Amino acid sequence: MKTLPRVLHGLVRALQIVALAAMAYALAAPPPILVTLGPQRVVHTTNPKIGVHTRLTDEVEEWKIKKNFEMVREMGASWVVEYFPWEYLEPEEGSFDWTHADIVVNHARRQGLTVIARLGFVPRWARPRDSVTSYLDEARYPAFALFVTEFARHFAGRVQHLVIWNEPNLNFEWGYRGVDPAAYARMLQVVYPRVKEVEPSVQILAGALAPTLAPAGSVDAMSDLDYLQAMYAAGARDYFDALAAHAYGWTAPADDAPSPRRVNFRRTELLREIMVQNGDAHKRIFITEGGWNDHPRWTKAVHPAERITYTLRAYELCKNWEWVEACALWAFRYPFPAQSYLDYFTFVTPEFDPKPIYYEVQKYATK
Amino acid sequence: MKFKNTPRNRNQVSSRNLVSIGTLPLVIVALGVCAWLAFVLWFPKPPPKPDATWLRILETGVFRVGIDPSFPPFESDDAQGNLYGLDIALANELVRVWSLNSETPIRVEFVYTGFDGLYDALKTRQFDAIISALPYDPKKTEDVLFSHSYFNAGPHLIVRAEDTTTKTYYDVMGKAVGVELGSTGDAFARRWQRRLKLDLRTYHTPADALRALRWGEVDAVFADLIAFNDFARREGGVKPVGSALVNEFIVIAVRKDAPTLLGQINAVIDAMKQDGRLEQLYAEWLQ
Repeated sequence: MKTLPRVLHGLVRALQIVALAAMAYALAAPPPILVTLGPQRVVHTTNPKIGVHTRLTDEVEEWKIKKNFEMVREMGASWVVEYFPWEYLEPEEGSFDWTHADIVVNHARRQGLTVIARLGFVPRWARPRDSVTSYLDEARYPAFALFVTEFARHFAGRVQHLVIWNEPNLNFEWGYRGVDPAAYARMLQVVYPRVKEVEPSVQILAGALAPTLAPAGSVDAMSDLDYLQAMYAAGARDYFDALAAHAYGWTAPADDAPSPRRVNFRRTELLREIMVQNGDAHKRIFITEGGWNDHPRWTKAVHPAERITYTLRAYELCKNWEWVEACALWAFRYPFPAQSYLDYFTFVTPEFDPKPIYYEVQKYATK
Repeated sequence: MKFKNTPRNRNQVSSRNLVSIGTLPLVIVALGVCAWLAFVLWFPKPPPKPDATWLRILETGVFRVGIDPSFPPFESDDAQGNLYGLDIALANELVRVWSLNSETPIRVEFVYTGFDGLYDALKTRQFDAIISALPYDPKKTEDVLFSHSYFNAGPHLIVRAEDTTTKTYYDVMGKAVGVELGSTGDAFARRWQRRLKLDLRTYHTPADALRALRWGEVDAVFADLIAFNDFARREGGVKPVGSALVNEFIVIAVRKDAPTLLGQINAVIDAMKQDGRLEQLYAEWLQ
């Protein structure tokens, strides 16, 4: 009888110690970060075609995602292109995880931005062992189409523009196989009707071709102009609503005249010509990547002042091209430094320090 | 007073037991510390491995340097492939000094590598060091060892030659300041804009900004010393004031397993700073 109170007493004392420890932990631990969507914002801009490609796939912290889009809006850009890797969203066949994608899309929309979703990155379960994430066998096109359809269904009313694949005219973006415009056209032919059946208002963007001067027969790449024509020849015309284009200027000014033998910003006009020739004059072009780089050592870079001047001129050209819907340049910000020339494409540092180009675009867009 | 075994006293005994239980972890930790100290004292660390890179340089008489010769005035090559520039002169000075105390004379062998590939090539032992106007990068300190800086490429405050009143950037508060659009000096000026109330004027090249300074359009310019030296040599009439506004240290990188090589590089750089040889290199290649 005497031992029971002693045991109870010890138990109470132990509980007191645990409670004290819990309190100390609660006081010492940082509070959970509270990030809300905030009020609905509107982009104020003199050029509603201004856009940027964001890089939030690897951005973990929600406040950074929100801050990213706030700064995009404050710069005067209305459009954002963001990458949504298939493997991240459908890690197992038929099992979808929209958590991160929802955060990205909801914050973008709350800042008044229009999201263009770039879709690709084949999950392990959908490709042969030891193949790369850009490899998709034709037998798996229906699986990709199902993913795109589910994406369109989930983001109905929130994301209306879907880019199918990225730069399929490059060998490494086509699973390190020989590039094949007819095979890409067949991908569109599988994806397009299935998405339209579920979400008819969603715009399917094809292409996103890499501007390249690769000679005929190159194992690395096919000219974007030849590739687009070959897509048409393979019957792609009825299976996309608009064309995604990549418009890099390299060392040439924005006004540099287009030529099949030059990679420059106005090469986009050549893509447009091919579309017109193939009866697609009514379709719009969305520039989903592009711009200039001001790395001090890279051979395809320009001086910082040139980069700013060319960028502003490019946005102005797009404003006047009635066949261009949006002009999203690469890249607003990286979540961490790339430690290479790529860092000199950005408008804002990973620490959210705006570069002079950010302020100059802001001045242009809000003047 | 006689001790009574009352319930209250029993509780006190119980509390003492709790205290003794609570001290047990402390005792364990103390014992652990003692054991660790004993281990450290009785089993001292083995001596560090000799720096194989440095030994190989001494043995073979070849110091292999990674370089991207596309960045005058630090490194360029002429039509015949002859390298020249400040980094070339610095590398040659390093081996000249090392050769004084080496049985075998040491020479430099330059390995051409694209700038973005320099770190990877160093890591995979394509060469012993990077000497290629390499900016110090704190994020790379996990992978490589950086030498003492031999040049600061950050922007400086530049004023007219006859200006004796402007000493720091605080002295240009409210005044007209010229920068190259998009440059580090431009970024610095925009960061301080609100406090300094600068009348910021952007130019397409640093030379345009410095010319505007000379003509009295602006009161100061934020530009780096390479741009300044180039302008001063051609047109003159301007001078730098004070130290860099933003540090952009230019350094040499070696692998982490080459601490002796790093020490040898630092010793030469420090000596060159002391005895004016580095200033001579600046005068030869930057002015």
